[in-house]
Amino acid sequence: MGALADQFGQMNMGQKGLRLFTTNLLTSPPEPMELRQPPPEIVLPPNSCLSQSPFANADSSYQRSTLNAIPTTNSLLNKSKIPLGLVITPYRSLKEGEDEVPVVTDTVIARCRRCRTYINPYVQFIDGGNRWRCCMCSLSNEVPQLFDWDQVRNQPGDRWARAELNHAVVEFVAPTEYMVRPPQPAVYIFLVDVSHNAIQSGMVATATRTILENLDRIPDDNGRTKVSIIAFDTSLYFFTLPSGGADSSMLVVSDIDDVFLPKPTDLLVNLQEARPALESLLGRLSDMFQDNHTIGSALGPALQAAFQLMASIGGKIIALTATLPSVGVGALKNREDPKALGTSKESGLLQAASPFYKTFAIECSRAQVSVDMFLFSSGYQDVATLAYLPHYTAGQTYFYPAFNASRTEDAIKFAHEFGKVLAMPIMLEAVMRVRASKNLRMSSFHGNFFVRSTDLLAMPAVPQDLSYAIEVQIEDTITSPFVVFQTAVLHTTCYGERRIRVITTALPTTSNLSDVFASADQVAIATLLANKAVERSITHKLEDARDALFNKMVEILSAYKASMTAAGAGASAQLAISENLKMLAVLVLGLLKNVGIRQSAQIPPDLRAYAQALLTSLPSQLLIPYVYPNFYSLHTMPPECGTVGEHGVIMPPPLPLTSERLERHGLYLIEDGQTLFLWIGRDAVPQLVMDVFNLPNYEVLRGGKTTLPVLDNPFSQRVNAIIQKTREIRRGVYHQHLYIVKEDGEPPLRLWALSCLIQDRADVLPSYQQFISQLKDKVNGSGY
Amino acid sequence: MAYVGWLYLFSVLMAAALLFAAVFFMIMFSDLESDYINPVDLCNKLNQFVIPEHAAHGFLTVLFLLSGQWIAFLLNAPLLAFNVRKIMKQNHVYDATEIFRTLEPHKKEIFIKLGFYLLSFFFYLYSMIVALVSDTP
Repeated sequence: MGALADQFGQMNMGQKGLRLFTTNLLTSPPEPMELRQPPPEIVLPPNSCLSQSPFANADSSYQRSTLNAIPTTNSLLNKSKIPLGLVITPYRSLKEGEDEVPVVTDTVIARCRRCRTYINPYVQFIDGGNRWRCCMCSLSNEVPQLFDWDQVRNQPGDRWARAELNHAVVEFVAPTEYMVRPPQPAVYIFLVDVSHNAIQSGMVATATRTILENLDRIPDDNGRTKVSIIAFDTSLYFFTLPSGGADSSMLVVSDIDDVFLPKPTDLLVNLQEARPALESLLGRLSDMFQDNHTIGSALGPALQAAFQLMASIGGKIIALTATLPSVGVGALKNREDPKALGTSKESGLLQAASPFYKTFAIECSRAQVSVDMFLFSSGYQDVATLAYLPHYTAGQTYFYPAFNASRTEDAIKFAHEFGKVLAMPIMLEAVMRVRASKNLRMSSFHGNFFVRSTDLLAMPAVPQDLSYAIEVQIEDTITSPFVVFQTAVLHTTCYGERRIRVITTALPTTSNLSDVFASADQVAIATLLANKAVERSITHKLEDARDALFNKMVEILSAYKASMTAAGAGASAQLAISENLKMLAVLVLGLLKNVGIRQSAQIPPDLRAYAQALLTSLPSQLLIPYVYPNFYSLHTMPPECGTVGEHGVIMPPPLPLTSERLERHGLYLIEDGQTLFLWIGRDAVPQLVMDVFNLPNYEVLRGGKTTLPVLDNPFSQRVNAIIQKTREIRRGVYHQHLYIVKEDGEPPLRLWALSCLIQDRADVLPSYQQFISQLKDKVNGSGY
Repeated sequence: MAYVGWLYLFSVLMAAALLFAAVFFMIMFSDLESDYINPVDLCNKLNQFVIPEHAAHGFLTVLFLLSGQWIAFLLNAPLLAFNVRKIMKQNHVYDATEIFRTLEPHKKEIFIKLGFYLLSFFFYLYSMIVALVSDTP
């Protein structure tokens, strides 16, 4: 009744608020297509925006809020139980056909005197346009003199055409006041592990070849980029790369207790000038250490050496290692303990084993050095500890368990991802700050960066397509009809220009609980919850993280039931939630079943740590399939699927993730953004096997990592087109491995593929139906 | 029993010093909150004082034990146990990477310590006077 009254109330008020539709989770199964819907519409009060441009509010791929209507009071927010937060991907890569971020080049940057907000489409011009009123703190500011002047053509310009008043995502070219020093060149230092393991796995050969092939793609538009290569096993090997010459010489430093640079010059060199020497070195590096039988790794000292080399400039260290660091500072012990898995001690394995990786990260952050880790070990490598370094220096961890370059797929995957990382234009020396309207406060921060002061995030280098989640607190009653969140990233581009990227999102406020529910964005909520769960699993226990997720879901459902349905506090035969939050339950179930959080005694800590690194850094677009994979039936897909349509290759309709949909004669594709599984049923007809795999029948088909042949028949081409499209459709560097999974094939692979079907029961983990009834019992039992 | 008076005199001075240390910690934390200091400097500065502070408190407690001042010892024992446990678990140092997340518990801890040192200061003062009074014939 309350809900109905609320809705009527809304209509009477003439507000264009969102309509709230209640749905019953017990009778409406999850519908995968709904995850592809855009978030609930942002309905701003009329005349709040200066511009009619459709870009005046930031796209959800840059910045999205868990609630698209902000409650005016904290008690209203608490009543809804939905966590308030922002999910931000400030530096998003652009696919072909997407609009570039507009750049304001005239260095006229209008900012509020008090709160330092950048001018945006939500300010008000007053006093005949001579002053503007800040949308966050309502202070009236002067409009800068040159604001209406077109400096390119030297004539009066049109204020209303300025990019910052029409676009929510803009970049300002920053004048010298925004610089601590002149923009630095981009610096890349490669730390290559050349110990026995690394050489044997073929990592060194693949890595050097990839660097060699991608030298042209490394951002170097103005010829300032510097590079260096340091190899290490239990000693450090430096290479001098004289400019102009083609010969390099190697300098060995075996004193790893007190790292020093063997030569003051020629170690860190200009990419263009030393190109010949670099090319010849990269060609030879793997052969030089061909017979290296040294086992062990001095990763810590190597990192220190690289740091010394670049500390005055800053930049990026790319560490490639296939061994557990064993000597020098930062040496780690093998602490993998199968008995601890699945118990409360497990979270200890996810915490840093050595303080070095935190203290060194802080040093790096101060010197504007960012670290990317590429890990390849076949044994235990303590990914958890090593990942702290990228975590606090705004880098990223990449993990290739049991990498072996003699398998073409491994080599292709690594080369593809590494190549993309090298080619990626990065932001250097960046700091990020999120400002918000009065009475809103950023309370805690999740993602890869170092929190330098209460709300300043230090990021020595910002890679593309990394997501950050920020929790927001409502401190006092908000009186304005709408609020504004503004993210500003002050950075140096890798082409030597100081810039500020500003992302503005305006959201209406509401004092109506039904609006809060109707405007909730389930994808953003799931992203925020993933970040919070990972943090909790490290500071507390994995068990606590799972309980917290489950309880959050129960709280939201209870709150909805108590305030939005007729059942109120009593028991109800329904499990009601608003239409736009329908998928939240299955996303939470997906999180509970994700490798990073799942209850299991079989997950190696390395895989868990890597999954957690992904959960805290993937943007929503990649995170959602990682939590709720895509599942397609290929043998029954409509004939147009896999052919090129208006928007590229047409994809088959996604199926709900349950093995009920698996037919014994079918061919299915399951993908979670990191891996692709091609599932084939045991009664697959020979014609199907022939068409797709070019093999006579199901029996001779082998499961495992593979590359699918492109055959001269339409079905094979369509399947390949779908796989190709799946690999390209998302932003980010990841290249998915393709596994063929036979229904009666090796159990580990089968179970892995089946673990993607999260609506099924697996071991102790409930099926979707069981999960929903657990939720219902809790909601009815708790008696709000 | 002359030494008891001296012991408590010493304790009063120590408690005053510990009190100052706790106040210093509080001030530093509020500086961090209002952005006057960055977390790295804060942690480097505070970490210098963590072990001395714990050691001073531990020394005092051991003195009470050795001299048979049971009430004073029992008062201090829980805090000593808490400190020892923290050091055993290696989380006695302030971690710059997590300081903002753990600021509230840290502040609470320092606040409680502050109160404790204040109370013990007066307790030692009282005990000192009692000891001196009973000393003089």
